[in-house]
Amino acid sequence: MRVSYKWLKQYVDLEGISPEEVADRLTFAGAEVEGIETLASGTNLVIGKIISCTPHPDSDHLHVLQVDEGQFGVEQIVCGAPNAREGLKVIVSRPGAKLPGGEISKSKIRGVESNGMCCSLLELGVDKKYLSEKQVAGIEELPEEAPIGETDVLGYLGLDDKVLEVSVLPNRPDLNAMENVAREVACLFHRDVKIPSIKEEKAEKTSFKVGSLTPKCPQFSGKVYRGVKNGPSPKWLKDILIAEGIRSIDTIVDIGNYVMLLTGQPLNMYDADKLEKEELVVIDDYEGDFFAMDGNTYKLEKGDLLVTSNGKPVCLAGIMTADAARIDENTKNIVVEAANFDYASIRRTSNRLGLASDSSNRFCKGINPHQAEYVQEVTKALLVSLCKAEKVYETVDYDTLDHAKKLVEVSINYINCRLGTSFSKEEIVNVLKEDHFLVREDKGDTLVLEVPPYRIDIEGKADISEEVIRLLGYENVHSILPTSELACKGLTESQTKKRMIRRYLLSSGVSEVLTYTLIAEKDVKTFDYITKKEAYRLSNPLTVDREYVRTNLMPSLLSVLSYNVNHQNKDVAIFEISDIDAKDYASRHLAIALTGKAYQMGEIGGRPYDFYDVKGYLEGILTLLGLNSNRVQIVPWTLGGEELHPGRSAEIRMGKKLLGYLGELHPLALKDLGLDNAVILELDLGELLNMKVSEIKYKPASRFPAVTRDLALLLDEKVTFEEIRVESLRADSLIHKVSVFDLYRGKGVPEGKKSLAITLTLYAEDHTLKDEEIALSVKKAIDALSRKFLAEIRS
Amino acid sequence: MSNALIEKALALREEAMEKLQLIKDEIALDGFFAAYLSKKGSIKGLLSNMKDVPPEERGNVGSEVNRLSAEVQKAFEERKADIEKRKLEKRLKEEAIDISMPGRKAPSGRINPYHLIIDEVTDIFLSMGYEVIEGRDVEEDKYNFELLNVPKDHPSRDMQDTFYLDAGKLLRTQTSAAQAHTMVERSLDPTPIRMISPGKAYRRDDDDMTHSHQFAQIEGLVVDKNISIANLKATLELFAKKMFGPKREIRLRSSYFPFTEPSVEVDVSCFACGGKGCNICKGTGWIEILGAGMVNPKVLKMCGYDPEVWSGFAFGVGVERVAMLRYGIDDIRRFYANDMKFLDGFIGK
Repeated sequence: MRVSYKWLKQYVDLEGISPEEVADRLTFAGAEVEGIETLASGTNLVIGKIISCTPHPDSDHLHVLQVDEGQFGVEQIVCGAPNAREGLKVIVSRPGAKLPGGEISKSKIRGVESNGMCCSLLELGVDKKYLSEKQVAGIEELPEEAPIGETDVLGYLGLDDKVLEVSVLPNRPDLNAMENVAREVACLFHRDVKIPSIKEEKAEKTSFKVGSLTPKCPQFSGKVYRGVKNGPSPKWLKDILIAEGIRSIDTIVDIGNYVMLLTGQPLNMYDADKLEKEELVVIDDYEGDFFAMDGNTYKLEKGDLLVTSNGKPVCLAGIMTADAARIDENTKNIVVEAANFDYASIRRTSNRLGLASDSSNRFCKGINPHQAEYVQEVTKALLVSLCKAEKVYETVDYDTLDHAKKLVEVSINYINCRLGTSFSKEEIVNVLKEDHFLVREDKGDTLVLEVPPYRIDIEGKADISEEVIRLLGYENVHSILPTSELACKGLTESQTKKRMIRRYLLSSGVSEVLTYTLIAEKDVKTFDYITKKEAYRLSNPLTVDREYVRTNLMPSLLSVLSYNVNHQNKDVAIFEISDIDAKDYASRHLAIALTGKAYQMGEIGGRPYDFYDVKGYLEGILTLLGLNSNRVQIVPWTLGGEELHPGRSAEIRMGKKLLGYLGELHPLALKDLGLDNAVILELDLGELLNMKVSEIKYKPASRFPAVTRDLALLLDEKVTFEEIRVESLRADSLIHKVSVFDLYRGKGVPEGKKSLAITLTLYAEDHTLKDEEIALSVKKAIDALSRKFLAEIRS
Repeated sequence: MSNALIEKALALREEAMEKLQLIKDEIALDGFFAAYLSKKGSIKGLLSNMKDVPPEERGNVGSEVNRLSAEVQKAFEERKADIEKRKLEKRLKEEAIDISMPGRKAPSGRINPYHLIIDEVTDIFLSMGYEVIEGRDVEEDKYNFELLNVPKDHPSRDMQDTFYLDAGKLLRTQTSAAQAHTMVERSLDPTPIRMISPGKAYRRDDDDMTHSHQFAQIEGLVVDKNISIANLKATLELFAKKMFGPKREIRLRSSYFPFTEPSVEVDVSCFACGGKGCNICKGTGWIEILGAGMVNPKVLKMCGYDPEVWSGFAFGVGVERVAMLRYGIDDIRRFYANDMKFLDGFIGK
């Protein structure tokens, strides 16, 4: 709502209160003022009269003017406006004038001295949308009676106003009416509000009828006028409309807008002679075309509220009049409608048709349902005085609304408890009275309050507590920390585990990123090994790039890798943990993606990330979670496809269930992404974070020393370390651990073979091993490996 | 003769002392020791001539020679220590390294400031006895709107343009949805609630410097008996001081959210200028930081908490907004681009 400070002053005495102060108080009371607009500005202005206008000797469009500026004498001004002419009264900005576009100074224009400038309203900062084409194209033409020498030009023009841009929140639709803003401001500054009362006069009887066939229009009033003269509006009305951001059209339309701005009640006006029958009836079951006054045809559906006359559409209720019933320059007789329509219906129709107006917006936000009669009277006064309406008929009203005063019972104790304050009853009663509530009953601590009819947001006692504190000010609330029984809360086990994983990866050099949940259709089915469920699709996406809810994290992480590589960040190690939602699926995934080089401690050159980097992270995470290889296994890749390198990838399984995967990207996928190398992992954490792990039990290490023996094995390429490990452990019970210390291919090792050097750790729980025992145990291992894998021992 | 022996010893001492001054290394020291101080060395060697000394003087002469020998020995030790000290100094000098060369640090990952703020706020509220409830991104209308007093077609739905999904679901527009879930879950046997719920939310906004279709919030909810605005104010004051510094103050402005009544916007005194007015606070000295209020009795009732018995407060913080203010980040889209050069400054706690 735009609030003209000048207009506001007509209703509240604002002596000594600046627009900025008004804005400040409104903001703290819940109606945020987002800005204060100065309608027009300019210093050193004066009204002058062109006493001669001759062509510039050196230009085909400039004029040389002699302008009578009253007490400032006659000045010569060079002017390019096409409408400059002798006898015209104009706005002159004298040298030194500061205008929105800059400062005016004495100058020579093509050799001719110019002492100032004749201005258009545009040059004074008035928005183009309030000006006619003629006003935009040339200088402002002042009326003949404009006083020469007047220096308060903005005051003379009615542009010396400031407009408060009030952001009206959904709970206060009443503030979309000037009268209610005035009431609010009066309350905030403890002043009286001066809203003129309207006296009802006797009007002629009419046979005109109104009605509604739907509960979505519970009230509809009409008032018929005859002999109405339309034309341009008076200056005071135009000034108010400009300040309010509405362009003046003609008196009838302007009156409609003015009354709406004043009271918040949208009006609709019909040309009475264009109605087929002396009736207006609201229906909601019309289906078909509606030809609106904007020249467009709209398809109406059942449920759309429609005003009809003799069954013919005359207005899409609350939104737009039909072309067939609109007021035009020949209109003499009119019907004025003030009605109540269901906000949800208007909202649905307006949204569906993409058709909104100041009226429909007000209906959608909710209007005061109790003022139709009052609004009709306010309108009547204006139509009689400004349009010289010859005959005014009585208001006919269809009204099923309950107009009983709304009462709220509330106790002083409740208010103070809710606020944590100790206001006295007197303080509370006083502020509520200023807020236009009436105390209907005073039962000691409990009050029965009558709610002002325009405050449709007030429903219960909690609302009253808000009124009290927003008006008395939150600075009166003194902080008290809440007390309650001690409870052992903290992070849950799964939240703690998630933190552990994050901290582990962060301190291992992997960065934690944040990516969008919404992705493009082309990415939905990629890297879909874990979830394998249908993705949710937006029914109202903004762009095709963000149309689906991702079912896996990998596409997002890979795009972060590509982005970085394209932005000169070559070595990138990232992870993200995020919830994943799909149809019949709700879990939480971890994804890791690495590209470029790893820099180990102390390494300067680095080496490209490979499978074992990401496997290392996985092993670390499983250890943190207390999950050993009996519960979660890393097994060879069987899933195929062209996203992962088939020979350098693995599946993560818990029994038969696939929990995730890890591996190097397939060369074709690398090419698509523009990457040289990438290693990735995605893991479904959902179950893992909630898995019960056994309590830690301390078990002392063997008291007897362990010995190690190294073996270098010449093996076929196909034999895996895991096979060697398992077989060695199985060979003898004294062997407790098998680890790798070297893997070698090349000189001395035949093609298709590899040299794997392992360390066996041997000990017994109950005695120190003797040399013979050790030798026997190692021999058993060697024999088993030779037998099973044709391993040769290298010396 | 005895005198002659002592004379000799004195002369040897003089000679040894002079030589000692010229010695610069350990090899020369060893030579010196052999020449003057060893058993066969020249000073002690004089004692082998003792047979020529009359027996009654032997005691005197012997002790005199020993005394002179001990003097040289002492000087020798000093000289030796001095040379060793110099040698060590030289070695230390030679061993000096360029300490400006980079250290061998274990790699440390960077953290998106989104996570940084969530971790920090979470820790503050955990320390106040709150629990963390994680809601989900895909929600039902019921929890995101209806139970929060935003019925269908209500004008307040215009405040949040929603992404609707097929299957009648939506992407939550606010983490407040977790409030409704928690209360409903516990409504069979209502108990006090102190929770925060950090997470993502979505609104149908075009992405630009200050808007993002995806953003993060941290929702807070306290439900108990006799909760008041004064409790809310104290809690948020504590939070503001922890988050933005001990000198911060807050102020409340009346506002509107469908699920709270009264509703407030909360400003914190500008941490950049201390309240004098600067660019960051746009000259006002205050920065809008979060929305809050007393839980609307209608919400309590719909979620199964009797508003005649229970009351509560709720608040919601915009994560990116806090991060942007705190770290001077100019564009919300940077959070989602994850450029390593952007992340470089952010280290997890």
